[in-house]
Formats: sequence, C-alpha cells, structure tokens
Amino acid sequence: MKKAYRDNEAFIEIKDLTFSYKKSPVILNNVSISFYKSEITAIIGPNGSGKTTLGKLMSGILSSEQGSVFLEGTNIKGITLGNIGKKVGYLFQQPERQLFNPTVKEEIGFAHLFMGEPKDKVDKKVSKIIEELSLQGLENSSPYKISRGERQRVALAAILINEPSFLILDEPTTGLDMIKKDKLSEILKNLQQQNIGMVIISHDKSFIKSNADRTLEVSGGEINEV
Amino acid sequence: MKFDPRTKLIMVFSLSTLAVFVIDIYLLLVVLLISIVVSNYFKENWDFLKRTKKFITLLIGIVLIQSIFSPAGEILLSINNFTILTTGGLAKGIRVILRMLIIIISATIMTGSSPREIIQALIQWKVPYEIAFMVSLSIRFIPILGEEAKDAFTAIQLRGVEIDKLNLTKRIKIYSYMFMPVLSGVIHRAKELSTSLEARAFRAYPDRSSYIKLELARKDYLIMFVSTLFTISILGIYIIMG
Amino acid sequence: MSIVIKTEGLTFSYSEQEHNILDNLSMEVKKGEILAILGLSGSGKSTLCYCLSGIIPHVYSGKLSGEVRIDGHSTQEMDMTMIATKLGIVFQNPETQLFFPMVESELAFGPENLCIDRDEIKKRIDLTLDLLNIKEKRNEKTGHLSGGQKQLIALASVLTLKPKILIFDEVMSQIDEKGKNAIKDIILQLKKEGKTVIMVSHNLDNIDIADRIMTLKNGRLKRFEESL
Repeated sequence: MKKAYRDNEAFIEIKDLTFSYKKSPVILNNVSISFYKSEITAIIGPNGSGKTTLGKLMSGILSSEQGSVFLEGTNIKGITLGNIGKKVGYLFQQPERQLFNPTVKEEIGFAHLFMGEPKDKVDKKVSKIIEELSLQGLENSSPYKISRGERQRVALAAILINEPSFLILDEPTTGLDMIKKDKLSEILKNLQQQNIGMVIISHDKSFIKSNADRTLEVSGGEINEV
Repeated sequence: MKFDPRTKLIMVFSLSTLAVFVIDIYLLLVVLLISIVVSNYFKENWDFLKRTKKFITLLIGIVLIQSIFSPAGEILLSINNFTILTTGGLAKGIRVILRMLIIIISATIMTGSSPREIIQALIQWKVPYEIAFMVSLSIRFIPILGEEAKDAFTAIQLRGVEIDKLNLTKRIKIYSYMFMPVLSGVIHRAKELSTSLEARAFRAYPDRSSYIKLELARKDYLIMFVSTLFTISILGIYIIMG
Repeated sequence: MSIVIKTEGLTFSYSEQEHNILDNLSMEVKKGEILAILGLSGSGKSTLCYCLSGIIPHVYSGKLSGEVRIDGHSTQEMDMTMIATKLGIVFQNPETQLFFPMVESELAFGPENLCIDRDEIKKRIDLTLDLLNIKEKRNEKTGHLSGGQKQLIALASVLTLKPKILIFDEVMSQIDEKGKNAIKDIILQLKKEGKTVIMVSHNLDNIDIADRIMTLKNGRLKRFEESL
C-alpha cells in the first residue's frame, strides 16, 4: 500500500538539479530524486558532502539556476518562504538560530500573533503543542537557558504550530545523549503517525537505522539509495 | 616577488592619503590608475570587483545627491526649475566616486598577505599583540556571523511571516527580533573562544615569541621610499600651489 | 603505575545554581591510560573537564571545594600557563578553537605564548604534523578543512604545548565516521607515546578504545556497568 502511494505522489521532487557555491566545486551534479510524505527518508554522507545544501534546496532556502524543485507539483521558486513554511518545517542544526523570543511560550506563538491571528486561538494551539512535545513547566523559561534537547523541542514546536505536512531535520541528534535521542525518536514516530513526512539529515548511524524507512547517500555530487 | 606586508601597508596608506587630499579630478584619475596598476601587481584576484558591482547604483545615487544639494557652476539638467545636475555638483560627485574607488582598490593590495603576516607587521610596528590579534580574530568570524543572520532571517520567514507583505514598522520589528539569535550566537562563541584561548596559554607572559619574523629587504625599503616620496611631493606641490 | 591526576572531594556548583553539579567526586587517572567518562547531558561532564584542566577556577568561577592535583600539584596553586604545559584540552566545537586562517600559524600560537624560540617551535610543529600524519596540511587554510580535519588541527595546536595529559570533551559529536576513526587512531597513537588520555562522551559509540570506562551520575563517578 505504501508503495502505491509512493508511485504517484511525490511531496517534494527534485529534477535535474545542479548546485555549487561561488568558486567552489559542484556539490550536487544533475540529481533527480523524490521525497514522499508517507516515509521518513534519511540523508547521509560525509561532512561537507552537501547534505545540508540538499536540505536547504528542498525547502527553497537555497535555489539553483540549473534544475528545479517542486513542492506538491509547484515550482518552489514561485512560492515565498512564508508560504513554504506552512507546508515544510525546517529544523536547523543549530536550533539557536531559529529562536527569537524571551520565553518559550512567546516563541511558539509569536509568528501567528504577529500575522494577526487572535490571541485566544493562538494560545490554545500553543498549549496543545507544549503538551505534545512535553515542554510543560518551561513555558516561561528563556529558550536560551534550557538544555539543548529542550531547546530543540521548542524550535520544533514553533515549526509544528504551522501544521506543516513535511519536516526537514538537519542533524537533529547533535549534542543529544542516548535518552534524549530516544525521546526524539518517540516524537518523530508520533509525528509520522499524524501523516507528516520527514527527511532526516544525519551521520548518526544508529539513529537512522531505528528511524528511517529509506536512506539516501550524498557523495561526490550524486545521490544514491542505500 | 614577495613583499613585506609593511611595505604594502605603506603603499595603501600613501594612496589613500592622496585620495583624501587631492582635489583635482585629473590628478585623482592618475592616482586611481596607479592604484589599479599597483594592486594588479600585488593582488591575488579581482573577485572582489564582482561584489562591488552591486555598489554601482549606490555610487550613481551619491553623485546625484551630491549634485542636487551642492549646485555650482553651469546647470546641465533641470526639471521645472528644480536643478538636478550642475557642472560643479557633477565634479563633486565624481570626486567622491574616484576617492572611494582608490581606497577600495588600494586596500586590495593587502589581500596577498596572510592575516598572520599582517598581525606580525602591526606588532613589529609596536601595535600591542592583543589588539592586532583581536582584530584579526573578529575578521575571521564575520562570515559566520553573516551565515547566522541569514539562517535567522530564513527561519523567521519559514515561520509564516511574509516579509514582503509587512509595512515598514512591522518590518523593522521583525528585524529587531533577529538580534536575539545573532547576539546569543556571538556571546556563546565569545565564551567558547575565551576558554580555548586560556587553555592555549594566551597572555601567559607579558611578552611572547613569534614563529614568523618579517624582515624588510632592499626592495621593500625602495618601494616604501618611492611611495612616501611620491605622496609627499604631490601633497607638497598642492600646498605650495594653494 | 604513577597517578597523574587525582581529585579529592571535588565539589562544585555554578554561582546561579543551588545544587552541586559535582558532588564530593574522587578519582585517579593513571599515567598512560585511556579513561572514558560517560554521562548524560547535564550530568556535569564538561564541568568535570573544566575542573581537571584548571579552567575552573581560573576562567569560570563558582563554589568550588576539594582539590584537583595534576602531577601532585593543586590546580588552584598553578596558573593556566603552567597547567597548559602539563595538560591539553580539546573541545566539542572545532570552530572556536581555531584562531587563525592558516594551519601553521595555529600550531605556532601556543608555543609563541610560552615565549619559546623559533627553532624549537618549528621542531614542535614538524613533530606534531608528523605524528598526526597531516604534513600536507601545513600551509592549508583551516576554512577549507572538514569538521574532522579541523578537530585534528585543534588537537595538533594543543599538542605543540607538549602536554602529557589530554582531555577530549565530546570531540567526536560533530564529526562524520571517517573523522571519528581518524581521531580514534590518533588517540591510540598518543597512548603509545606515553600520553594519558581522558575522553568524555555521552554515548557508547566512540569509547571502544578506552582502557577503563566510568560513568558520571549525580555528581559522582562510578565504574561503568553496561548502561547509564
């Protein structure tokens, strides 16, 4: 059944994409690959092979002149980051870079309040997510003064309030110990059950083994199924 | 041929001094030409020029503003009695551009030296090591700072904030939010850096030795002498001729 | 075998916190061994590293009692300079351990601070590059290196201070497989050279090279028993 779903509906599709940073050698060379909502895809590869670049291209953060990326069939170049964010959530390797508010509670709801959503509605969503990601008790703490694992969950919560259907997680296990990793696995499994597709960029073998349905390796400009 | 960074610093200093003091446009052009030739000899590459392309509109803007606010000489262009371009204003604008170009281009002479060599040059000129070191360290972190700000800016948009649709006040507010992650990054890094500096015996003694040592060769003295003489003579002629 | 590090009743709390992150901790490290210390996040691993390397109390302050002795000398009585020549520490983030764009200047930095003369610095750089098998990196720009290679340069720049003891604080957590293996090989090499190594980690993956494993929990060290 999973297979049948896969065959006709790619959530993100990369077509003939070539990418290089200024002056540097080509990082991705004419790659084509599809990502599906029904599965957790792991992207592995050595440091500097272009895993993060691929993630940023998939989510429209970076774009390339050569080749295209489609989000649910629409060329991602034509969609603003604001609108991409409603469908695709991106967790940076350093969650500190996506936290902007003095308290956890404000952090999670701030973009919605900012764009003019009524406060009571936002508050409701915020409390629901706080519970889902077991952040209770941290509502009024500063996102910068909690542990790394908690900080990552706050960043994730702030992404999930947008109800995205797809998540891209860049090295989510960096700095997490075994127990925190298990906790993250649990959260990801839960999200998968809510029909959220995922890409995990990581070099953490054991984490990938226990979480991913499919593994892709980026190396030498190519992407290969492992 | 390799030159001492101090020699290069003297050249940069000479050229930019001329850029500041010379008023005559033709002479400024000559100085610019010299800067281009000299920097072409010392430069590693001209990549930075691609980046300066973006500034061209800015430069044209400067000329216009200079021209509008300090009209002088004959009127070249006016709309409904509003003077836009005058000969005097144009000359002023061109001067500003020439000066900026000279300073930017002559500064690229330094790109051929490694930052460690430049620090060493400053130290041998009796600049305290701590200051020279801190300056070079902060330059090293500029790209990382840029990357952090970029990520923060992307992240805030991915939250669903449509920057293009915001009015100016809201937009400024969004920018102010970005200070938080960038500032926290800076503080965090500063802490880590200072810890690892201590662990490497930084400032162990009032003095320190130096692995590299710069020594001026005859050619260095020659170039220093020529550049200084050239600059002083031009400035001298200028002062005498009023 | 002789004891190179000994702590007695080491207790520490950060000034803004109530509880003791290290609580009456006693340990001994033997010369030439590789000791791994395992602990979950927040268990105080980094704090312990800071105490062992004199960063606490010399750089960070807090409420410290008990003692850390390196080669029989208390860290409180030595200054950072003296400690740096006995004990080197490599941290998690390679980015903030490199201060110069060139590998060679990085390696020279430590000995320069100690006022060591040029010929000796050159000798130390040659030896270190040789030991880590990275001679070809001498004139490279650090910005062009991978995370693992940067970590090796960070280690190299500590080694030029000629420490006899090395502490690795989560050095492998941001590094890919290849980089991890390279670092492990180097650690074994350092052991052969007679150096003492303490490596701190939050998972079991990278500590297979250790002679002895301890776990840090509730501010104290215990012998490792199969799980955390």
